[in-house]
Amino acid sequence: MTAHTDPPHHAVDGDDEQLACGRLLSGVWDAWERGHEDPHQRTCPHCRAAVAELEELESVVRALPEEPVERYKDELTSLTRRVMDVVRLELRPGRPMPLGEPAEDLWIMESVAARSLRAAAEGEPGVRAGSCRLLPHFDAGGTGPLDVRLDVHAPADASLPELAERVRLRVLEVADRQLGMDIAAVDIRVTDLLDPAVDDQEGRDR
Amino acid sequence: MAGARRDTAPPRTRSDVGESDDALLAVRAAEGDEDAFAVLVQRHAPALIRLATRLLDTRSEAEDAVQDAFISAWRRLPEFHGRSAFGTWMYRIVTNRCLNILRARRPVSPLEAAGDVPAPDHAASPARITEARGAVRELRAALDDLSPEQRACWVLREWDGQSYEFIADAVGISQEAVRARVFRARRSLTQALGAWR
Repeated sequence: MTAHTDPPHHAVDGDDEQLACGRLLSGVWDAWERGHEDPHQRTCPHCRAAVAELEELESVVRALPEEPVERYKDELTSLTRRVMDVVRLELRPGRPMPLGEPAEDLWIMESVAARSLRAAAEGEPGVRAGSCRLLPHFDAGGTGPLDVRLDVHAPADASLPELAERVRLRVLEVADRQLGMDIAAVDIRVTDLLDPAVDDQEGRDR
Repeated sequence: MAGARRDTAPPRTRSDVGESDDALLAVRAAEGDEDAFAVLVQRHAPALIRLATRLLDTRSEAEDAVQDAFISAWRRLPEFHGRSAFGTWMYRIVTNRCLNILRARRPVSPLEAAGDVPAPDHAASPARITEARGAVRELRAALDDLSPEQRACWVLREWDGQSYEFIADAVGISQEAVRARVFRARRSLTQALGAWR
C-alpha cells in the first residue's frame, strides 16, 4: 500500500512497528491470535487500538462470501473430462505379462490384468483392493507362472484367514477363466480394517 | 476367532475412512488405474477450485490451475508413495501452482480489477450492507497489492483457516516465515481498511 494514513506508531523496521507503549505490533497481534491473557494489553489503549484494527479486519474477512464447497461442483464434469483426456494420453500400462502356455507368446499389460484381479477381489463383500502387482519368475525367462501380490482393506469384523482364502480363490478363478493366466501364488496383505458401521456402503450384508 | 469383533480399535470417523480410501485409490492410480484417479479428481476438485479461486480471484484461472495440478499429480503419482494424505498433497500442488501464477501476473489496473469483484449478497441492515460491501471490496482490492507470498500465506491462514504448520508445509517455507508474511499482509490490509474508513 502506498496511501498510508500515518498511524501514531513509530516504525521499527520495514516490517514491524513499536507502539507508543513500547510493545511491538507483531507481538501484540501474535498474543491476540494465540489467545494469551496479558493484563497490560487488556488495559493499554495503544495495544487495544492495535487489536481493534485487527479485529476490524477479521470482521471484514467474515463478511466475505461463505462459498460452500458444493458451489464448486457445477464445472466438475467438464473439469474431470479435461483432466482425464490428458491422463488417457499418458497411461501407465506397466510391463507385459505372459498369458497361456510358455510357448504361446501371448501377453497382457500389467495394469490391465491388475484391473481384473482387483475387481475379482472386490467381489468379496466388504473388501477394497489397493496395490496389485504381478511378479513374473524371471529365472523362468519371464514366462510361465506369476506371483500376485495384492493389498486389501478388509472389514474389521471378518476372520482374516478365512477372508484371505476366499479372496485368493476369487483371484485365482478370474486369472484362470477370464485371463488364462498361470498364477503360482497369491500373496494377500491386509493394509487396513474397515469398520462396517462407518463404511456403510459395503460389508453390511455379511 | 471366526467372526470375532475387534472392539479394542479406536472408533474411526468418516474423514479417517475417506483418507484411507484416498490412499487406496492413490496407490491404484500410481499403478496405472486411471479410473481410480478419476474418482480422486471428482472427490477433491471442488475444495481445490475454491482454494485456487481464493488465491487467484478468478474462477476460470482457478479451474485451469486445478486442472494442471491434477495432470501434474498423475505424472508424479508413481513417486508419491503416500507420505502425506492425497488431499494434502494436492493442496500443496495447487498452492504452488497458484503462487507461480501470481508471481507471473503483470500488475492489473484498478479498473480491470474492480470489474471482477462480485458484490457479497448478505449482511444485516441496509446501512451495514453498504458498509460491509465497501469494506469487502476494499479488502479484495488491497489483497491485489500484497506480494504473491504474502497473499498466499494470508489466504491460507485467514480465509481457508489452515494452521501455520500446515501452511509452512504447503508453501515449503518455515513456520516463522509464514508468520512474518501473514503479519505483513495483515498490516497492509488493516492500513488499507483504515484508509478506506
